[in-house]
Amino acid sequence: MVGAGMTDFGELFDLGMKDMVPMAVAEAVDSVDKGFERADIEAAWFGELVTTDGFATGILADSCGLLDIPVSRLENACATGNDAVRHGTMAVASGMYDVVLVVGADKVRETSSRTTFWDWMAMTRDMAWDFPLGLVAPANFALHVNRYLHESKATREHMAMVAVKNHKHGVSNPKAQMRFEITIEQVLEAPMVVEPFGLFDCTPQSDGAAAVILVAEHLADRYTDKPVWVRGTGLGLDRVMHQHKADLTTFPPTVKAAKAAYAMAGIGPDDIDVAEVHDCFTGVELINYEDLGFCERFGAAKLVEAGETSVGGRLPVNPSGGLKAKGHPPGATGVAQCYELWEQLRGDANLQVDGARWALAHNVGGPTAVSAVTILSSEKG
Amino acid sequence: MIRSIGTYLPPWTSGRDRAVGADEDAVTMAVAAGRQALDDVDPHDVTSVVLVTRDFPLLEGGNGPALLAGLGLPASVPVREQLGGAPAALEVLAGGTDGMLVIGSDLVPAGASAALVGGGSAAAAGLSIDARGVVNRSLPVATRDASGNTTDYADPRLLRERGVGVSLEQAGVTGKVAVVAGLTGRAAAQLSRDDAPLLPTTGASAVGFGLAALAERGEGGQLLAVEQAAAVVAQVGSGAAPVGRDELAPLPTPPTTLTPGADIAISLAAYERAFDVKLRLEAGRCTTCATLSSPPRFRCLGCGSEAPLETVPLPRDVVVHSQTTIHVPVPGKRTPYTLVIVQVGDTDVRLLVHLTAANPGSTRIGDSGTLVFRRVAIRSGVPDYGYAFLPAERTTSDERKVAS
Repeated sequence: MVGAGMTDFGELFDLGMKDMVPMAVAEAVDSVDKGFERADIEAAWFGELVTTDGFATGILADSCGLLDIPVSRLENACATGNDAVRHGTMAVASGMYDVVLVVGADKVRETSSRTTFWDWMAMTRDMAWDFPLGLVAPANFALHVNRYLHESKATREHMAMVAVKNHKHGVSNPKAQMRFEITIEQVLEAPMVVEPFGLFDCTPQSDGAAAVILVAEHLADRYTDKPVWVRGTGLGLDRVMHQHKADLTTFPPTVKAAKAAYAMAGIGPDDIDVAEVHDCFTGVELINYEDLGFCERFGAAKLVEAGETSVGGRLPVNPSGGLKAKGHPPGATGVAQCYELWEQLRGDANLQVDGARWALAHNVGGPTAVSAVTILSSEKG
Repeated sequence: MIRSIGTYLPPWTSGRDRAVGADEDAVTMAVAAGRQALDDVDPHDVTSVVLVTRDFPLLEGGNGPALLAGLGLPASVPVREQLGGAPAALEVLAGGTDGMLVIGSDLVPAGASAALVGGGSAAAAGLSIDARGVVNRSLPVATRDASGNTTDYADPRLLRERGVGVSLEQAGVTGKVAVVAGLTGRAAAQLSRDDAPLLPTTGASAVGFGLAALAERGEGGQLLAVEQAAAVVAQVGSGAAPVGRDELAPLPTPPTTLTPGADIAISLAAYERAFDVKLRLEAGRCTTCATLSSPPRFRCLGCGSEAPLETVPLPRDVVVHSQTTIHVPVPGKRTPYTLVIVQVGDTDVRLLVHLTAANPGSTRIGDSGTLVFRRVAIRSGVPDYGYAFLPAERTTSDERKVAS
């Protein structure tokens, strides 16, 4: 990885898809230390959940002046971003291309906030069995987290600790959507959205775009002396319908994706110095700790209670603010996590984790049936 | 002869009357009452079904297949949709042939009843019912047209004297009857004996509620059904017929918010594929390893076999495995509402269903209950039926808060 960029995340009413995408790409191009010509790009992947403003790949090619290369759209629910990075990595690793562009973007706030739930759920629900029930996205995760709270020692207070931590982290991120601190009491007393998630347990609805530039190992020097290396990628799946998931207290896709990524990188969870994980809802971050191997099963409450996942702790999680405070335009989220970790591994982050060498990015999404994990390092290996 | 009787009342109250839940209509209530009447009856004994109501969910599109599926009757059983109130229900019932299941279902006040026509068994000889007078005269003090527009002439004395009064005279009713279906309060009291049962509904279902009361007393007597200037009177014998009552304890209707929004289009192709197993509460069973799956799948969850599945009925007793309550406005839905994943009986099957007949948020992991036939949604004008979780113990969420 020799370049990375992203737009601000937020309710970007003044920007369309055709504005956000070229803005993120321009920032990624400008970030390349030794200069970068767009003409070097040989292929691009575009991660986007919903085709706002129409034909996705054409919009990327057209709006970024990349009309002479192949562009493919990739959609894999909330795992879209890190899966797009995985596809860009495979393209370079295969030797087919030496320089590729990976972009993620979504515009959640392009329709009324009142209809967003329906606008975004038709694509992820069984039309006959689940859709008529009103299984909106938060409910999707709430069914897991309520069972998790029932079986583990974790409480809503532990969930609130995740929100407080990520909001605190987000304050120093100029691109974050919610740059203010909150208290445990505020989280617990906020209006209920979908039990057990109050307003501050939920990610906001966001627009945004992010881009990274991946090049072949032998070309890295041409662009920078401080590249970030993609050391592992993984993607995991699970049964789609909640009725068919054996254990609701874990996300098997995460376990599978992480196992693949760790194996490719030749490391384990203990080696990770900083992570950006999918905290679309606070309780989900707790389950992620366990699925990613950051602690033992049902050990997440203790981990967050001890502050180990705060910046300054043993394994800082979501120093960017996470989806919770930074925002969550689904297609962009995974790519933007890699942008944050690129800054961390180069020592340029706003809230820097000292001496970070290994970093992990993680998405889990859809009807909790897909996860993608990317492991990055400052070391080539 | 009446072989068996079933009744249903939703828990929700509107003043002194019962009110339909957001997930109920005339068909779901008819299913609930019909299942009570069919308890202990071989489904093959049912030769036809007549649904009498003035509240058909669909005037075009057909209510029969959903009704049969909910009742667990073969799709080949003929269904007659009869528009009418209490006199129509009593007329059909008194003239019914063996094996006819007559169901009355009403939205306001809400309730349903069912009676199976046929000879009784050794244990219960059955209840005889003979029509003694049928009068149909026109005095439409209240009207409702095909679009649902209503008018009320608002002249109760005219209705009493020239409507009900004249019709009863012509029907040959002279003294006070044992029970009146179709009227409430003083109007009913004036026509019936002092010990006449109070019926919870006034439409087609009132006849079944009246029959149930007579059957439980074992006395028999005259049953009068009235609707404006129409009247039917029947003599009910003193025999015995089993009565099953699915009458839920009353609960005040909880405050909910309906958020307007674009109608979500139904996929009728998906609806049609799922119809039988979804409305009959059946699972697929692998013919190789017997693993159950709901909804049925092409490839077995257990052994990976792709041989065609057979379908089998699922048990209806369930336990809550997980649950959540949605408070945030969702267009087209009444909020808050509760979704639960339930573990079905002694099987490995879990289902995702909504909570019914209980306050949103009042159920907890580990609660037990049953699956009941309800309307899950209306999409593109199509009632979408399925099953919902009815908790064994229903409490208000406020009581829950105190308890926890």
